[in-house]
Amino acid sequence: MEPVKKGLISRSGLWVGVLAAVALVLPLLVSSTFAIDIFIRILLFAFIGVAWNLMGGYAKQLSLGHAAYFGLGAYTSTILLIRYGVSPWIGMLAGGVVAMLASLPIGALCFRLRGPYFAIATIATAQVLMLLFLKFRDFAWGAEGTTMPNLGDAPLMMQFDGKAPYYYVVLALLAIGLAITYRIERSWMGYYLVAVGEDEDAAEAIGVDAIRIKRNIYLISAFLTALAGTFYVQYIYFIDPNTAFSFNVSVEAALVSIVGGIGTLWGPVVGTVLLEATSALLQSWLGGGHGGIQLTVYSLILIAVILCRPAGLIGLLTDAYDRVVHAGAARVKEVPLDG
Amino acid sequence: MATNRSSAFAKRRDRRDFLRKSAGAVALATSGIASKAFAAEPVNIGGLYPVTGSFAQIGQGCVNAAKLAVQMVNDAGGIKSLGGAKLNLIVSDVQSDTTVTRTETDRLISGYKLSAIHGCFASALTLIASEVAERAKMPLITGSSSDKLNIDRHYTFTPFSRASQFALAQLQMSKLVSDSPKVAVIFENTAFGTSTSNGLREQAPGQGVEIVMFEPYSAGLTDASPLINKVKASGANMLFPVSYLNDLILIIRAIKQNGLEIAINGGSGGFVIPDFYKNVGSAAEGLLGVAHWNHDINADAQKVNEVYKQQYGEFLFEYAGGLVAQTFMIADALERAASTDPQKVRDALSTLDVSSGYAAMGPGGKVKFGPDGKNIYAHPVGVQWQNADLATVFPKDEARAPLMKA
Amino acid sequence: MLTTIAQAVINGLLIGGIYALVSIGVTLIFGVVKIVNFAQGEFVMIGMYISYFLAASFGIDPLVSLCISMPALFVIGVLLQHFLLRRVLALGDMPQIFLTFALSLLLVNLALLLFTADYRTVQTPYSETAVHLGALYIPVAKLIAFAVAMVLSGLLWVFLHTTDLGRAMRAAAQNRDVAMLMGINPDRVFCVAVGLALALAGAAGSLLMPFYPAYPLVGQVFVLMAFVAVVLGTLGNVTGALIASLMMGVAESLGIQFVGADSGLIVVFAMLLLTLAFRPNGLFGGWSR
Repeated sequence: MEPVKKGLISRSGLWVGVLAAVALVLPLLVSSTFAIDIFIRILLFAFIGVAWNLMGGYAKQLSLGHAAYFGLGAYTSTILLIRYGVSPWIGMLAGGVVAMLASLPIGALCFRLRGPYFAIATIATAQVLMLLFLKFRDFAWGAEGTTMPNLGDAPLMMQFDGKAPYYYVVLALLAIGLAITYRIERSWMGYYLVAVGEDEDAAEAIGVDAIRIKRNIYLISAFLTALAGTFYVQYIYFIDPNTAFSFNVSVEAALVSIVGGIGTLWGPVVGTVLLEATSALLQSWLGGGHGGIQLTVYSLILIAVILCRPAGLIGLLTDAYDRVVHAGAARVKEVPLDG
Repeated sequence: MATNRSSAFAKRRDRRDFLRKSAGAVALATSGIASKAFAAEPVNIGGLYPVTGSFAQIGQGCVNAAKLAVQMVNDAGGIKSLGGAKLNLIVSDVQSDTTVTRTETDRLISGYKLSAIHGCFASALTLIASEVAERAKMPLITGSSSDKLNIDRHYTFTPFSRASQFALAQLQMSKLVSDSPKVAVIFENTAFGTSTSNGLREQAPGQGVEIVMFEPYSAGLTDASPLINKVKASGANMLFPVSYLNDLILIIRAIKQNGLEIAINGGSGGFVIPDFYKNVGSAAEGLLGVAHWNHDINADAQKVNEVYKQQYGEFLFEYAGGLVAQTFMIADALERAASTDPQKVRDALSTLDVSSGYAAMGPGGKVKFGPDGKNIYAHPVGVQWQNADLATVFPKDEARAPLMKA
Repeated sequence: MLTTIAQAVINGLLIGGIYALVSIGVTLIFGVVKIVNFAQGEFVMIGMYISYFLAASFGIDPLVSLCISMPALFVIGVLLQHFLLRRVLALGDMPQIFLTFALSLLLVNLALLLFTADYRTVQTPYSETAVHLGALYIPVAKLIAFAVAMVLSGLLWVFLHTTDLGRAMRAAAQNRDVAMLMGINPDRVFCVAVGLALALAGAAGSLLMPFYPAYPLVGQVFVLMAFVAVVLGTLGNVTGALIASLMMGVAESLGIQFVGADSGLIVVFAMLLLTLAFRPNGLFGGWSR
């Protein structure tokens, strides 16, 4: 699919190492907690984007309901913590398992649907879960939600003093997500995924068990998204159905991958950096009172990317790389169909 | 060739890092500039309100009132024990969103040298701000009514009526209208709706009020008719809707459209703001509500109302008026603490005891905080829409106008 | 009890008419242009604001302002197709979905910037009156909205089945390549389709104004229901969308009445998911109308 990009990645062991080193020392160089907060948001949404990308980018199953797993992960760990005193580290894994289990019937229902039907069905499932949790007042605090008990500095319970430890946790999550994507990309599963994504019927015709592939990738995608959910509620000290199953989470998961580069390893990271940084800058420059201008800019960026660079901005970077390295080599440009 | 390749790698990595670092740098710079400019004289207080999003109109009104209040404090000489230091209000838009509230509260506390904060109108948002403030040991003062704000909190102060108290007042007021009230309670399934309605349910039997219908509904109605249809079927003679503005408009209109003759006590929230009347018009006349502050409570309140009305063209509504009082409470605490240190301000707030001036212009005219941050004198008043304005009609000894019969 | 049920059904049908106007627009665009317009609700919002300002500045009744809002939105629709949608037609699901989604975000926030979040209402003589049928109440404003919605749907159906342009649209929907071979200009057909769809959205907005407040986010409230109706009624099937909208209005109303006031949406979504489980292409299976 993208041999140039794959080559880029395989030659970049050193490059990834440098990036990792920079990422590791970043919190030590920056003292503003607001800045660290931005970084944490960037890493978290990049991670969610990476999880989404497995489904939406490689297998081209455009899910707009990933918030369902985000929320399930968040609620599982919170319920285990507050009702049973279980550490969120364990709760996080439990949440991942719950999400995987949920993805089975949801997948069974939705995978029979194609294109926009699939998207709408996934939106509906996330909404239904939100509505259900709004009703579960006794067990899961209903609409009011709940705050995390203040345990002070309790690393074993995923609560830390200061922001830096949270940064490292989410950095680790992102690294795991990227590593998993990398491995899958290179495995037999990766090739089948792409085949199913490009043309499911053709793939089936040559013997690929599309249903099983989709189900498996959904399991992984749901699991990872749920981990993000637990981290998030631990970080903001709060959970309620609107936050946990927020449509915005579903949208951002897909958005960062599309803006950055759908179906690529680093696409979601690039997309998140751009979108979150823009959003954070706007928020701190404009602060309070200019209703709507931040999202207006955000949406204009999106439209611009979709119209001018639908493959995502990572294409810009790899093209730049191409031009520098393979200067002069002919490049076949895609001609959009008329109509 | 090799140099080209590695410089291309470097370019790409640098670009990404540049993005990250510039985000950090700008954030650093803006916070740095802010602290340098204000470190010396003025006292910083933070105000967190939803200026955009679903609570935008109320949020904007709150910010207006907050600025007015600060101006009033400064015009009266500022904080004398700090050499006449002026209050400096730093406003943040929490966008009616819980996550943004979390990050903004954090940003304000860590980015500026604050002495106290106030916010956020909606209970759902204030709960988060209060959690963050508690962990950061920053005193927060708020008019939000959720009873949860007084549990496990040492840094949150609530000078005004609690949700459970609103509920009690509504129940008592229902006896003004009928001897055997049969009440239908419909409420948004949000933090505000749930806490108020719980208060209603728990206290109804004790007040001799029968609740014949108790229904949460999903906020954001396309049509209130099905809901009203249900109310009709329940045989209620009084309706307590607990909602924010958009649903209230639909509910009131649907009641008229479906020919439902029923007394209404709209509670607080979206019911007691000028926009409600603007949108519902004369259908609002005679409708009852409850409020933790009203502009006809005493002479001080009326004075502030006049100033606000002149500047913004509409009367000073509940939360905004309470906000002005809160600012004066903070000023009083600063005065006594003679320090900008949040811990000292917090301690001064916990020993606040006022019965005059703008700080005490709430119902009851006195403020003193108990160990759980509640004002021991706080109670709500019943209000009624009369001639496009809100008049206090309950309890009898605090009524400023006679009860209008519908 | 019977009165209650009857009233619930009436309430459901009336609001279903509005859902129909919105969902027919979505399904028309999908059927002909093959794009799911996530911004349809925002065009309803625009229609509402147009009617609001005409009423507030000139005292024009919202129903009269239909004559202005509908053509205005038709033009906007043509421009939308010609300048934006056309460029993503060949790009596949994701860019298309996200383009309209981004558009939705843009329109909501522009409205927020321009008009603030204040609720704008219009009071008409019939805003709060109702027709009595025995013990049943039929609010006049909603009845008018329903009637006009049905008339417009009927007109659309006639257009699609009897006029040349309408037939060309259905042909292009069924098979674009063959249609082109037969000399049909797809771009022109698409422009008209999008224009009509947006005109219907604008109509929904004007019809809502007498009994619903206008504010930037208002479109999102209706578009969710419209989408469910579109899927239920089979993507691309105009009649299907109409019937599904009415069904959903009634289901929601009955759900609120008998399951719980916060369960209206759950009932609707349950309907959706069940239908998709057994009839993945919606209730009306086959193709566009």
